[in-house]
Amino acid sequence: MAHKDAQRDGTSAGAVIQIRDLQKSYGDFQALKGISFEVRRGEILGLLGPNGAGKSTTMKILTSFISASSGSVTVDGLDLFREPIETRRRIGYLPESTALYTDMVVYDYLVYCGEMRGFTRKECDERIAKLARRVGIVEKLSASIGTLSKGYKQRVGLAQALLHNPPIVILDEPTSGLDPNQIVEIRELIKELGKDHTVILSTHILPEVRQTCDRIVIIHRGNVVADGTIEEIEGKMADEHELIVGLQLADGDGEKARTALAAIAGVRKAVIGYQVHAPVTHLHFTVSASRDVRPDIARYASEAGHTVIELRRKSMDLEGIFQHLTSDR
Amino acid sequence: MKPVLVIARRELAATFDSPIAYIAATVFLIATGLMFFFGIDGGEDFFEARQATVRPLFDSAPWVLAVILPAVTMRLVAEEKKSGTLELLVTLPVSDLEIIIGKLLGAMGFLVVALALTAVFPLLVLQLGSPDIGAIVGGYLGLFLIGTTFLALGVMTSTWTHNQIVAFILGLLLCIFFWTATDALIKLAFERPPMALTLLTFKQQFASFSKGVIDLRNIIYFASVIAVAVAASTWTLRSRNWK
Repeated sequence: MAHKDAQRDGTSAGAVIQIRDLQKSYGDFQALKGISFEVRRGEILGLLGPNGAGKSTTMKILTSFISASSGSVTVDGLDLFREPIETRRRIGYLPESTALYTDMVVYDYLVYCGEMRGFTRKECDERIAKLARRVGIVEKLSASIGTLSKGYKQRVGLAQALLHNPPIVILDEPTSGLDPNQIVEIRELIKELGKDHTVILSTHILPEVRQTCDRIVIIHRGNVVADGTIEEIEGKMADEHELIVGLQLADGDGEKARTALAAIAGVRKAVIGYQVHAPVTHLHFTVSASRDVRPDIARYASEAGHTVIELRRKSMDLEGIFQHLTSDR
Repeated sequence: MKPVLVIARRELAATFDSPIAYIAATVFLIATGLMFFFGIDGGEDFFEARQATVRPLFDSAPWVLAVILPAVTMRLVAEEKKSGTLELLVTLPVSDLEIIIGKLLGAMGFLVVALALTAVFPLLVLQLGSPDIGAIVGGYLGLFLIGTTFLALGVMTSTWTHNQIVAFILGLLLCIFFWTATDALIKLAFERPPMALTLLTFKQQFASFSKGVIDLRNIIYFASVIAVAVAASTWTLRSRNWK
Protein backbone atom coordinates (compact mmCIF):
# COMPACT_ATOMS: atom_id res chain seq x y z
CA MET A 1 0.00 0.00 0.00
CA ALA A 2 2.83 2.38 0.92
CA HIS A 3 4.38 1.62 -2.41
CA LYS A 4 1.19 2.49 -4.24
CA ASP A 5 0.80 5.76 -2.36
CA ALA A 6 4.34 6.75 -3.23
CA GLN A 7 3.59 5.96 -6.84
CA ARG A 8 0.52 8.11 -6.74
CA ASP A 9 2.43 11.06 -5.27
CA GLY A 10 4.87 10.75 -8.15
CA THR A 11 2.33 12.05 -10.66
CA SER A 12 2.22 15.76 -11.36
CA ALA A 13 0.36 17.75 -8.75
CA GLY A 14 -3.38 17.32 -8.95
CA ALA A 15 -3.47 15.26 -12.14
CA VAL A 16 -5.64 12.22 -11.63
CA ILE A 17 -5.48 11.10 -15.25
CA GLN A 18 -2.50 11.64 -17.54
CA ILE A 19 -2.77 10.80 -21.20
CA ARG A 20 0.44 10.82 -23.23
CA ASP A 21 0.66 10.54 -27.00
CA LEU A 22 -2.30 8.21 -27.24
CA GLN A 23 -2.83 6.68 -30.66
CA LYS A 24 -5.53 4.36 -31.93
CA SER A 25 -5.98 2.93 -35.39
CA TYR A 26 -8.86 0.91 -36.76
CA GLY A 27 -7.22 -0.72 -39.75
CA ASP A 28 -6.18 2.16 -41.99
CA PHE A 29 -8.23 4.72 -40.13
CA GLN A 30 -6.35 6.65 -37.46
CA ALA A 31 -8.98 7.59 -34.89
CA LEU A 32 -6.46 9.14 -32.46
CA LYS A 33 -3.26 10.64 -33.81
CA GLY A 34 -1.35 11.05 -30.58
CA ILE A 35 -3.37 13.02 -28.06
CA SER A 36 -2.05 14.21 -24.70
CA PHE A 37 -3.88 15.92 -21.87
CA GLU A 38 -4.36 15.76 -18.13
CA VAL A 39 -7.40 15.68 -15.93
CA ARG A 40 -7.03 17.30 -12.52
CA ARG A 41 -8.55 15.94 -9.37
CA GLY A 42 -12.01 17.28 -8.67
CA GLU A 43 -12.59 19.08 -11.96
CA ILE A 44 -15.31 18.62 -14.54
CA LEU A 45 -13.57 18.26 -17.87
CA GLY A 46 -15.53 18.63 -21.09
CA LEU A 47 -14.30 16.66 -24.06
CA LEU A 48 -15.51 18.51 -27.14
CA GLY A 49 -15.38 17.77 -30.79
CA PRO A 50 -17.54 17.12 -33.82
CA ASN A 51 -19.00 13.66 -34.29
CA GLY A 52 -16.27 11.17 -35.11
CA ALA A 53 -13.48 13.36 -33.72
CA GLY A 54 -12.23 10.71 -31.31
CA LYS A 55 -14.07 11.60 -28.08
CA SER A 56 -15.71 8.21 -27.64
CA THR A 57 -12.56 6.37 -28.67
CA THR A 58 -10.65 8.24 -25.95
CA MET A 59 -13.29 7.33 -23.38
CA LYS A 60 -13.43 3.70 -24.46
CA ILE A 61 -9.68 3.48 -23.98
CA LEU A 62 -9.85 5.18 -20.57
CA THR A 63 -12.42 2.62 -19.43
CA SER A 64 -10.37 -0.21 -21.00
CA PHE A 65 -13.15 -1.29 -23.31
CA ILE A 66 -10.74 -1.11 -26.21
CA SER A 67 -6.98 -1.06 -26.29
CA ALA A 68 -4.78 1.72 -27.62
CA SER A 69 -2.32 1.29 -30.48
CA SER A 70 0.36 3.23 -28.62
CA GLY A 71 0.86 5.81 -25.91
CA SER A 72 0.37 5.73 -22.16
CA VAL A 73 -2.39 6.49 -19.70
CA THR A 74 -2.10 6.69 -15.93
CA VAL A 75 -5.20 6.72 -13.78
CA ASP A 76 -4.69 7.67 -10.15
CA GLY A 77 -1.01 6.77 -10.57
CA LEU A 78 -1.77 3.35 -12.05
CA ASP A 79 -0.73 2.30 -15.54
CA LEU A 80 -4.02 1.70 -17.32
CA PHE A 81 -2.61 -0.90 -19.69
CA ARG A 82 -0.79 -2.85 -16.96
CA GLU A 83 -3.47 -2.74 -14.28
CA PRO A 84 -6.79 -2.52 -16.13
CA ILE A 85 -8.78 -4.22 -13.36
CA GLU A 86 -7.47 -1.89 -10.63
CA THR A 87 -8.14 1.22 -12.71
CA ARG A 88 -11.66 0.02 -13.54
CA ARG A 89 -12.42 -0.02 -9.80
CA ARG A 90 -11.72 3.71 -9.69
CA ILE A 91 -13.87 4.59 -12.67
CA GLY A 92 -17.61 4.81 -13.14
CA TYR A 93 -18.66 4.75 -16.78
CA LEU A 94 -21.78 5.71 -18.66
CA PRO A 95 -21.31 4.65 -22.29
CA GLU A 96 -22.85 6.58 -25.13
CA SER A 97 -25.22 3.71 -25.92
CA THR A 98 -26.42 3.32 -22.31
CA ALA A 99 -27.10 -0.32 -23.19
CA LEU A 100 -28.48 -2.07 -20.11
CA TYR A 101 -29.94 -5.56 -19.69
CA THR A 102 -33.50 -4.83 -20.77
CA ASP A 103 -34.77 -8.12 -19.35
CA MET A 104 -33.81 -7.13 -15.79
CA VAL A 105 -35.66 -5.16 -13.15
CA VAL A 106 -33.86 -1.91 -12.25
CA TYR A 107 -33.22 -2.95 -8.65
CA ASP A 108 -31.90 -6.40 -9.59
CA TYR A 109 -29.68 -4.84 -12.22
CA LEU A 110 -28.13 -2.45 -9.71
CA VAL A 111 -27.63 -5.30 -7.23
CA TYR A 112 -25.95 -7.25 -10.02
CA CYS A 113 -23.61 -4.32 -10.75
CA GLY A 114 -22.85 -3.89 -7.04
CA GLU A 115 -22.10 -7.57 -6.55
CA MET A 116 -19.90 -7.55 -9.63
CA ARG A 117 -17.93 -4.81 -7.89
CA GLY A 118 -17.57 -6.94 -4.81
CA PHE A 119 -20.26 -5.55 -2.51
CA THR A 120 -22.40 -7.77 -0.32
CA ARG A 121 -26.13 -7.83 -0.83
CA LYS A 122 -26.62 -5.64 2.26
CA GLU A 123 -24.11 -3.04 1.04
CA CYS A 124 -25.86 -3.02 -2.34
CA ASP A 125 -29.23 -2.37 -0.68
CA GLU A 126 -27.84 0.59 1.27
CA ARG A 127 -26.04 2.09 -1.70
CA ILE A 128 -29.01 1.70 -4.03
CA ALA A 129 -31.35 3.32 -1.48
CA LYS A 130 -29.09 6.38 -1.30
CA LEU A 131 -28.35 6.58 -5.02
CA ALA A 132 -31.91 6.08 -6.19
CA ARG A 133 -32.89 9.28 -4.41
CA ARG A 134 -29.89 11.13 -5.81
CA VAL A 135 -30.52 10.26 -9.45
CA GLY A 136 -34.30 10.24 -9.11
CA ILE A 137 -35.26 6.64 -9.87
CA VAL A 138 -36.90 5.71 -6.55
CA GLU A 139 -40.30 5.11 -8.15
CA LYS A 140 -38.77 3.05 -10.98
CA LEU A 141 -36.75 0.58 -8.93
CA SER A 142 -39.18 -2.27 -9.46
CA ALA A 143 -39.76 -1.52 -13.15
CA SER A 144 -38.25 -3.62 -15.90
CA ILE A 145 -35.43 -1.75 -17.63
CA GLY A 146 -36.93 -2.51 -21.03
CA THR A 147 -40.03 -0.45 -20.18
CA LEU A 148 -38.15 2.70 -19.14
CA SER A 149 -37.96 5.91 -21.15
CA LYS A 150 -34.62 7.06 -22.49
CA GLY A 151 -34.31 9.57 -19.65
CA TYR A 152 -34.82 6.96 -16.95
CA LYS A 153 -32.47 4.52 -18.68
CA GLN A 154 -29.87 7.27 -18.62
CA ARG A 155 -30.42 7.68 -14.87
CA VAL A 156 -30.14 3.96 -14.25
CA GLY A 157 -26.91 4.08 -16.26
CA LEU A 158 -25.74 6.93 -14.05
CA ALA A 159 -26.70 5.01 -10.89
CA GLN A 160 -24.69 2.07 -12.14
CA ALA A 161 -21.71 4.35 -12.77
CA LEU A 162 -21.88 5.88 -9.28
CA LEU A 163 -22.70 2.75 -7.29
CA HIS A 164 -19.15 2.17 -6.10
CA ASN A 165 -18.60 5.88 -5.40
CA PRO A 166 -15.68 6.04 -7.84
CA PRO A 167 -13.20 8.93 -7.71
CA ILE A 168 -13.51 9.27 -11.49
CA VAL A 169 -16.74 9.37 -13.47
CA ILE A 170 -16.67 9.15 -17.28
CA LEU A 171 -19.86 10.12 -19.08
CA ASP A 172 -20.09 9.74 -22.86
CA GLU A 173 -22.69 12.21 -24.13
CA PRO A 174 -24.80 12.01 -20.99
CA THR A 175 -27.53 14.30 -22.29
CA SER A 176 -27.95 12.98 -25.83
CA GLY A 177 -31.47 11.95 -26.68
CA LEU A 178 -33.02 13.57 -23.61
CA ASP A 179 -35.78 16.17 -23.62
CA PRO A 180 -34.95 19.72 -22.47
CA ASN A 181 -36.23 19.16 -18.91
CA GLN A 182 -34.26 15.97 -18.53
CA ILE A 183 -31.16 17.69 -19.91
CA VAL A 184 -31.41 20.39 -17.23
CA GLU A 185 -31.81 17.75 -14.51
CA ILE A 186 -28.88 15.65 -15.68
CA ARG A 187 -26.70 18.78 -15.94
CA GLU A 188 -27.57 19.73 -12.37
CA LEU A 189 -26.65 16.22 -11.32
CA ILE A 190 -23.31 16.42 -13.12
CA LYS A 191 -22.49 19.74 -11.44
CA GLU A 192 -23.40 18.16 -8.13
CA LEU A 193 -21.08 15.23 -8.96
CA GLY A 194 -18.22 17.62 -9.59
CA LYS A 195 -18.14 18.47 -5.90
CA ASP A 196 -16.66 15.15 -4.86
CA HIS A 197 -15.75 13.34 -8.09
CA THR A 198 -13.51 14.00 -11.04
CA VAL A 199 -15.83 14.06 -14.03
CA ILE A 200 -15.01 13.71 -17.71
CA LEU A 201 -17.92 14.22 -20.03
CA SER A 202 -18.08 14.35 -23.79
CA THR A 203 -20.53 16.42 -25.71
CA HIS A 204 -21.01 18.44 -28.82
CA ILE A 205 -23.56 20.70 -27.22
CA LEU A 206 -21.68 23.91 -26.49
CA PRO A 207 -23.96 25.66 -23.96
CA GLU A 208 -23.66 22.49 -21.90
CA VAL A 209 -19.93 22.97 -21.62
CA ARG A 210 -20.23 26.55 -20.45
CA GLN A 211 -22.79 25.53 -17.84
CA THR A 212 -21.10 22.47 -16.44
CA CYS A 213 -17.40 22.26 -17.24
CA ASP A 214 -14.40 23.74 -15.43
CA ARG A 215 -12.09 23.03 -18.31
CA ILE A 216 -12.38 21.85 -21.89
CA VAL A 217 -10.30 19.83 -24.30
CA ILE A 218 -11.30 20.14 -27.94
CA ILE A 219 -10.50 17.15 -30.14
CA HIS A 220 -10.64 17.31 -33.90
CA ARG A 221 -9.72 14.52 -36.31
CA GLY A 222 -7.82 12.64 -33.62
CA ASN A 223 -5.81 15.63 -32.37
CA VAL A 224 -6.16 17.93 -29.38
CA VAL A 225 -6.68 21.39 -30.88
CA ALA A 226 -7.40 23.32 -27.67
CA ASP A 227 -6.97 22.66 -23.95
CA GLY A 228 -7.78 25.04 -21.13
CA THR A 229 -10.54 26.82 -19.26
CA ILE A 230 -13.18 28.48 -21.40
CA GLU A 231 -11.72 31.89 -20.49
CA GLU A 232 -8.20 30.81 -21.43
CA ILE A 233 -9.25 29.46 -24.78
CA GLU A 234 -11.36 32.51 -25.53
CA GLY A 235 -8.41 34.70 -24.56
CA LYS A 236 -6.04 32.87 -26.86
CA MET A 237 -8.44 33.25 -29.71
CA ALA A 238 -8.67 37.01 -29.14
CA ASP A 239 -5.67 37.58 -31.40
CA GLU A 240 -7.80 36.50 -34.28
CA HIS A 241 -11.08 38.37 -34.30
CA GLU A 242 -13.70 39.96 -36.44
CA LEU A 243 -14.95 43.51 -36.64
CA ILE A 244 -18.24 44.77 -37.88
CA VAL A 245 -17.68 48.07 -39.65
CA GLY A 246 -20.60 50.20 -40.78
CA LEU A 247 -19.82 53.17 -43.02
CA GLN A 248 -22.02 55.79 -44.62
CA LEU A 249 -20.03 56.30 -47.79
CA ALA A 250 -19.25 59.75 -49.14
CA ASP A 251 -19.05 58.55 -52.75
CA GLY A 252 -21.21 55.40 -52.61
CA ASP A 253 -18.41 53.25 -54.04
CA GLY A 254 -18.50 50.19 -51.82
CA GLU A 255 -15.81 48.25 -53.63
CA LYS A 256 -13.33 51.13 -53.32
CA ALA A 257 -13.96 51.33 -49.58
CA ARG A 258 -13.57 47.59 -49.24
CA THR A 259 -10.19 47.65 -51.00
CA ALA A 260 -9.05 50.48 -48.76
CA LEU A 261 -10.07 48.57 -45.64
CA ALA A 262 -8.33 45.42 -46.83
CA ALA A 263 -5.14 47.43 -47.36
CA ILE A 264 -4.88 48.46 -43.69
CA ALA A 265 -1.95 46.70 -42.00
CA GLY A 266 -3.14 43.76 -39.93
CA VAL A 267 -6.38 43.27 -41.84
CA ARG A 268 -6.56 39.84 -43.34
CA LYS A 269 -9.84 40.09 -45.11
CA ALA A 270 -12.59 42.62 -45.66
CA VAL A 271 -15.94 41.46 -46.95
CA ILE A 272 -19.01 43.53 -47.78
CA GLY A 273 -21.68 42.28 -45.45
CA TYR A 274 -25.01 43.95 -46.04
CA GLN A 275 -26.34 47.29 -47.14
CA VAL A 276 -29.02 49.48 -45.70
CA HIS A 277 -30.60 51.96 -48.14
CA ALA A 278 -33.02 53.91 -46.01
CA PRO A 279 -32.92 56.62 -44.92
CA VAL A 280 -29.38 56.90 -46.30
CA THR A 281 -27.22 54.21 -47.85
CA HIS A 282 -24.61 52.65 -45.70
CA LEU A 283 -22.51 49.55 -46.04
CA HIS A 284 -21.50 47.02 -43.43
CA PHE A 285 -18.22 45.17 -43.74
CA THR A 286 -16.88 42.18 -41.88
CA VAL A 287 -13.19 42.64 -41.26
CA SER A 288 -10.90 39.86 -39.94
CA ALA A 289 -7.85 41.24 -38.21
CA SER A 290 -4.91 39.96 -36.22
CA ARG A 291 -4.48 43.21 -34.19
CA ASP A 292 -6.73 45.97 -33.04
CA VAL A 293 -7.26 48.03 -36.22
CA ARG A 294 -10.18 50.14 -35.00
CA PRO A 295 -8.15 53.42 -34.77
CA ASP A 296 -6.86 52.86 -38.32
CA ILE A 297 -10.34 52.32 -39.65
CA ALA A 298 -11.61 55.46 -37.92
CA ARG A 299 -8.72 57.47 -39.36
CA TYR A 300 -9.32 56.14 -42.87
CA ALA A 301 -13.03 56.92 -42.65
CA SER A 302 -12.49 60.53 -41.63
CA GLU A 303 -9.83 61.04 -44.31
CA ALA A 304 -12.11 59.64 -47.02
CA GLY A 305 -15.10 61.59 -45.76
CA HIS A 306 -17.18 58.54 -44.73
CA THR A 307 -19.25 58.54 -41.59
CA VAL A 308 -18.69 55.71 -39.14
CA ILE A 309 -22.08 54.18 -38.26
CA GLU A 310 -20.79 51.12 -36.47
CA LEU A 311 -17.40 49.88 -35.37
CA ARG A 312 -17.87 46.82 -33.25
CA ARG A 313 -15.51 44.04 -32.26
CA LYS A 314 -17.21 40.69 -32.41
CA SER A 315 -15.93 38.62 -29.51
CA MET A 316 -15.16 35.05 -30.41
CA ASP A 317 -17.42 32.94 -28.24
CA LEU A 318 -17.16 29.24 -27.65
CA GLU A 319 -19.28 28.48 -30.70
CA GLY A 320 -17.03 30.62 -32.84
CA ILE A 321 -13.92 28.98 -31.44
CA PHE A 322 -15.36 25.55 -31.95
CA GLN A 323 -16.24 26.30 -35.54
CA HIS A 324 -12.93 27.97 -36.12
CA LEU A 325 -10.92 25.03 -34.79
CA THR A 326 -12.97 22.20 -36.16
CA SER A 327 -14.13 23.37 -39.56
CA ASP A 328 -12.31 21.87 -42.50
CA ARG A 329 -11.30 24.86 -44.53
CA MET B 1 -19.94 -13.30 -4.02
CA LYS B 2 -17.23 -13.73 -6.61
CA PRO B 3 -17.89 -11.96 -9.94
CA VAL B 4 -17.73 -15.31 -11.75
CA LEU B 5 -20.64 -16.57 -9.68
CA VAL B 6 -22.57 -13.30 -10.05
CA ILE B 7 -22.30 -13.66 -13.83
CA ALA B 8 -23.24 -17.36 -13.66
CA ARG B 9 -26.33 -16.62 -11.58
CA ARG B 10 -27.46 -13.84 -13.91
CA GLU B 11 -26.97 -16.00 -17.00
CA LEU B 12 -28.85 -18.90 -15.45
CA ALA B 13 -31.74 -16.59 -14.55
CA ALA B 14 -31.69 -15.03 -18.04
CA THR B 15 -31.67 -18.50 -19.64
CA PHE B 16 -34.80 -19.53 -17.76
CA ASP B 17 -36.38 -16.15 -18.48
CA SER B 18 -36.37 -17.01 -22.16
CA PRO B 19 -38.59 -19.64 -23.79
CA ILE B 20 -35.56 -21.23 -25.42
CA ALA B 21 -34.63 -22.97 -22.17
CA TYR B 22 -38.06 -24.61 -21.91
CA ILE B 23 -38.17 -25.55 -25.58
CA ALA B 24 -34.66 -27.03 -25.37
CA ALA B 25 -35.47 -28.97 -22.20
CA THR B 26 -38.70 -30.31 -23.71
CA VAL B 27 -37.00 -31.35 -26.94
CA PHE B 28 -34.30 -33.02 -24.89
CA LEU B 29 -36.75 -35.03 -22.80
CA ILE B 30 -38.94 -36.09 -25.73
CA ALA B 31 -36.02 -37.04 -27.98
CA THR B 32 -34.13 -38.98 -25.34
CA GLY B 33 -37.40 -40.59 -24.23
CA LEU B 34 -38.20 -41.79 -27.75
CA MET B 35 -34.71 -43.14 -28.24
CA PHE B 36 -34.75 -44.73 -24.80
CA PHE B 37 -38.04 -46.55 -25.19
CA PHE B 38 -38.12 -47.29 -28.90
CA GLY B 39 -34.43 -47.54 -29.71
CA ILE B 40 -34.52 -45.10 -32.60
CA ASP B 41 -30.74 -44.74 -32.57
CA GLY B 42 -30.19 -48.33 -33.71
CA GLY B 43 -30.82 -49.66 -30.21
CA GLU B 44 -33.33 -52.19 -29.06
CA ASP B 45 -36.87 -51.47 -28.03
CA PHE B 46 -36.82 -51.00 -24.25
CA PHE B 47 -39.84 -53.21 -23.64
CA GLU B 48 -38.75 -56.01 -25.92
CA ALA B 49 -35.14 -56.03 -24.77
CA ARG B 50 -36.36 -56.80 -21.24
CA GLN B 51 -33.08 -55.55 -19.77
CA ALA B 52 -32.74 -53.38 -16.70
CA THR B 53 -30.31 -50.93 -18.25
CA VAL B 54 -30.18 -47.18 -18.86
CA ARG B 55 -27.55 -47.48 -21.57
CA PRO B 56 -29.80 -46.48 -24.48
CA LEU B 57 -30.19 -43.12 -22.73
CA PHE B 58 -26.47 -42.57 -22.60
CA ASP B 59 -25.99 -43.64 -26.21
CA SER B 60 -28.65 -41.30 -27.52
CA ALA B 61 -28.41 -38.23 -25.26
CA PRO B 62 -25.17 -36.75 -26.73
CA TRP B 63 -26.92 -36.45 -30.10
CA VAL B 64 -29.68 -34.40 -28.59
CA LEU B 65 -27.32 -32.34 -26.46
CA ALA B 66 -25.27 -31.45 -29.55
CA VAL B 67 -28.43 -29.89 -31.02
CA ILE B 68 -30.02 -28.17 -28.03
CA LEU B 69 -27.01 -26.85 -26.13
CA PRO B 70 -25.81 -24.46 -28.89
CA ALA B 71 -29.33 -22.98 -28.72
CA VAL B 72 -28.78 -22.27 -25.03
CA THR B 73 -25.31 -20.77 -25.46
CA MET B 74 -25.93 -18.78 -28.67
CA ARG B 75 -27.07 -15.63 -26.85
CA LEU B 76 -24.40 -15.59 -24.15
CA VAL B 77 -21.92 -13.25 -25.82
CA ALA B 78 -23.53 -12.53 -29.21
CA GLU B 79 -26.54 -10.84 -27.62
CA GLU B 80 -24.34 -8.59 -25.45
CA LYS B 81 -22.32 -7.65 -28.51
CA LYS B 82 -25.41 -6.78 -30.49
CA SER B 83 -27.22 -4.80 -27.79
CA GLY B 84 -24.03 -3.09 -26.61
CA THR B 85 -24.26 -4.31 -23.00
CA LEU B 86 -20.87 -5.94 -23.48
CA GLU B 87 -19.30 -2.51 -23.09
CA LEU B 88 -20.48 -2.16 -19.49
CA LEU B 89 -19.70 -5.78 -18.70
CA VAL B 90 -16.08 -5.69 -19.85
CA THR B 91 -15.45 -2.31 -18.21
CA LEU B 92 -16.42 -3.76 -14.81
CA PRO B 93 -13.44 -4.88 -12.72
CA VAL B 94 -13.54 -8.47 -14.00
CA SER B 95 -11.16 -10.23 -16.35
CA ASP B 96 -12.24 -11.55 -19.73
CA LEU B 97 -11.57 -15.09 -18.51
CA GLU B 98 -13.90 -14.57 -15.54
CA ILE B 99 -16.63 -13.39 -17.91
CA ILE B 100 -16.31 -16.48 -20.12
CA ILE B 101 -16.18 -18.90 -17.17
CA GLY B 102 -19.14 -17.18 -15.52
CA LYS B 103 -21.21 -17.51 -18.67
CA LEU B 104 -20.18 -21.14 -19.12
CA LEU B 105 -21.11 -21.91 -15.50
CA GLY B 106 -24.52 -20.32 -16.01
CA ALA B 107 -25.13 -22.51 -19.06
CA MET B 108 -23.93 -25.55 -17.08
CA GLY B 109 -26.75 -24.80 -14.67
CA PHE B 110 -29.18 -25.46 -17.51
CA LEU B 111 -27.35 -28.68 -18.41
CA VAL B 112 -27.66 -29.93 -14.83
CA VAL B 113 -31.39 -29.18 -14.82
CA ALA B 114 -31.87 -30.92 -18.18
CA LEU B 115 -29.94 -33.99 -17.05
CA ALA B 116 -31.85 -34.07 -13.77
CA LEU B 117 -35.10 -34.24 -15.73
CA THR B 118 -33.97 -37.48 -17.39
CA ALA B 119 -33.71 -39.08 -13.96
CA VAL B 120 -37.20 -40.46 -14.65
CA PHE B 121 -35.63 -43.09 -16.94
CA PRO B 122 -33.21 -44.64 -14.41
CA LEU B 123 -35.90 -44.33 -11.73
CA LEU B 124 -38.26 -46.29 -13.95
CA VAL B 125 -35.63 -48.93 -14.60
CA LEU B 126 -34.98 -49.13 -10.86
CA GLN B 127 -38.66 -49.92 -10.35
CA LEU B 128 -38.59 -52.67 -12.95
CA GLY B 129 -35.30 -54.36 -12.15
CA SER B 130 -31.91 -53.88 -10.59
CA PRO B 131 -29.64 -51.97 -12.94
CA ASP B 132 -25.94 -51.34 -12.32
CA ILE B 133 -25.86 -48.14 -10.23
CA GLY B 134 -22.20 -47.58 -11.09
CA ALA B 135 -23.05 -47.57 -14.79
CA ILE B 136 -25.74 -44.97 -14.21
CA VAL B 137 -23.38 -42.70 -12.26
CA GLY B 138 -20.67 -43.14 -14.89
CA GLY B 139 -23.10 -42.44 -17.71
CA TYR B 140 -24.35 -39.25 -16.11
CA LEU B 141 -20.81 -38.07 -15.46
CA GLY B 142 -20.04 -38.70 -19.14
CA LEU B 143 -23.12 -36.77 -20.24
CA PHE B 144 -22.19 -33.90 -17.94
CA LEU B 145 -18.66 -33.78 -19.37
CA ILE B 146 -19.63 -34.02 -23.02
CA GLY B 147 -22.48 -31.57 -22.41
CA THR B 148 -20.09 -29.06 -20.85
CA THR B 149 -17.77 -29.56 -23.83
CA PHE B 150 -20.65 -28.73 -26.20
CA LEU B 151 -21.48 -25.67 -24.07
CA ALA B 152 -17.87 -24.48 -24.18
CA LEU B 153 -17.88 -24.83 -27.98
CA GLY B 154 -21.18 -22.93 -28.08
CA VAL B 155 -19.80 -20.11 -25.92
CA MET B 156 -16.84 -19.95 -28.27
CA THR B 157 -18.97 -19.53 -31.40
CA SER B 158 -21.08 -16.97 -29.53
CA THR B 159 -17.98 -14.79 -29.07
CA TRP B 160 -17.34 -14.86 -32.81
CA THR B 161 -20.41 -12.95 -33.92
CA HIS B 162 -23.13 -10.55 -32.81
CA ASN B 163 -25.74 -12.67 -34.60
CA GLN B 164 -27.29 -15.34 -32.39
CA ILE B 165 -28.46 -17.47 -35.31
CA VAL B 166 -24.95 -17.55 -36.75
CA ALA B 167 -23.61 -18.46 -33.31
CA PHE B 168 -26.17 -21.27 -33.07
CA ILE B 169 -25.46 -22.74 -36.49
CA LEU B 170 -21.70 -22.60 -36.04
CA GLY B 171 -22.03 -24.16 -32.59
CA LEU B 172 -24.33 -26.87 -33.90
CA LEU B 173 -21.93 -27.68 -36.75
CA LEU B 174 -18.95 -27.84 -34.40
CA CYS B 175 -20.73 -30.08 -31.89
CA ILE B 176 -22.07 -32.44 -34.56
CA PHE B 177 -18.68 -32.45 -36.26
CA PHE B 178 -16.80 -33.40 -33.13
CA TRP B 179 -19.46 -35.85 -31.95
CA THR B 180 -19.89 -37.82 -35.13
CA ALA B 181 -18.04 -36.53 -38.17
CA THR B 182 -14.54 -37.02 -36.77
CA ASP B 183 -15.34 -40.66 -36.19
CA ALA B 184 -16.82 -41.11 -39.65
CA LEU B 185 -13.96 -39.27 -41.36
CA ILE B 186 -11.36 -41.44 -39.71
CA LYS B 187 -13.21 -44.56 -40.79
CA LEU B 188 -13.40 -43.18 -44.32
CA ALA B 189 -9.74 -42.26 -44.44
CA PHE B 190 -8.28 -45.44 -43.06
CA GLU B 191 -9.13 -49.05 -43.70
CA ARG B 192 -7.70 -49.88 -40.31
CA PRO B 193 -7.81 -46.62 -38.37
CA PRO B 194 -4.79 -46.06 -36.15
CA MET B 195 -5.71 -46.54 -32.51
CA ALA B 196 -4.23 -43.18 -31.47
CA LEU B 197 -6.48 -41.29 -33.88
CA THR B 198 -9.66 -43.16 -32.99
CA LEU B 199 -9.00 -42.55 -29.33
CA LEU B 200 -9.04 -38.80 -29.94
CA THR B 201 -12.68 -38.69 -31.07
CA PHE B 202 -15.49 -37.60 -28.74
CA LYS B 203 -17.34 -40.82 -29.42
CA GLN B 204 -14.49 -43.03 -28.37
CA GLN B 205 -13.81 -40.94 -25.29
CA PHE B 206 -17.46 -41.00 -24.33
CA ALA B 207 -17.91 -44.73 -24.99
CA SER B 208 -16.41 -45.97 -21.75
CA PHE B 209 -18.64 -43.64 -19.69
CA SER B 210 -21.76 -45.11 -21.27
CA LYS B 211 -20.44 -48.55 -20.37
CA GLY B 212 -20.13 -47.32 -16.81
CA VAL B 213 -16.35 -47.07 -16.73
CA ILE B 214 -15.01 -43.89 -15.17
CA ASP B 215 -11.51 -43.41 -16.50
CA LEU B 216 -9.46 -40.38 -15.45
CA ARG B 217 -7.97 -40.19 -18.94
CA ASN B 218 -11.41 -39.61 -20.46
CA ILE B 219 -12.11 -36.92 -17.88
CA ILE B 220 -8.80 -35.20 -18.65
CA TYR B 221 -9.57 -35.41 -22.37
CA PHE B 222 -12.89 -33.56 -22.09
CA ALA B 223 -11.46 -31.10 -19.55
CA SER B 224 -8.72 -30.26 -22.06
CA VAL B 225 -11.18 -29.63 -24.88
CA ILE B 226 -13.22 -27.39 -22.55
CA ALA B 227 -10.06 -25.50 -21.54
CA VAL B 228 -9.11 -24.92 -25.19
CA ALA B 229 -12.59 -23.64 -26.04
CA VAL B 230 -12.59 -21.33 -22.98
CA ALA B 231 -9.14 -20.02 -23.89
CA ALA B 232 -10.24 -19.39 -27.48
CA SER B 233 -13.37 -17.56 -26.28
CA THR B 234 -11.33 -15.40 -23.91
CA TRP B 235 -8.91 -14.60 -26.68
CA THR B 236 -11.72 -13.48 -28.99
CA LEU B 237 -13.25 -11.34 -26.24
CA ARG B 238 -9.89 -9.76 -25.48
CA SER B 239 -9.20 -8.89 -29.09
CA ARG B 240 -12.32 -6.74 -29.21
CA ASN B 241 -11.80 -3.76 -31.39
CA TRP B 242 -15.35 -3.19 -32.45
CA LYS B 243 -16.66 0.27 -31.83
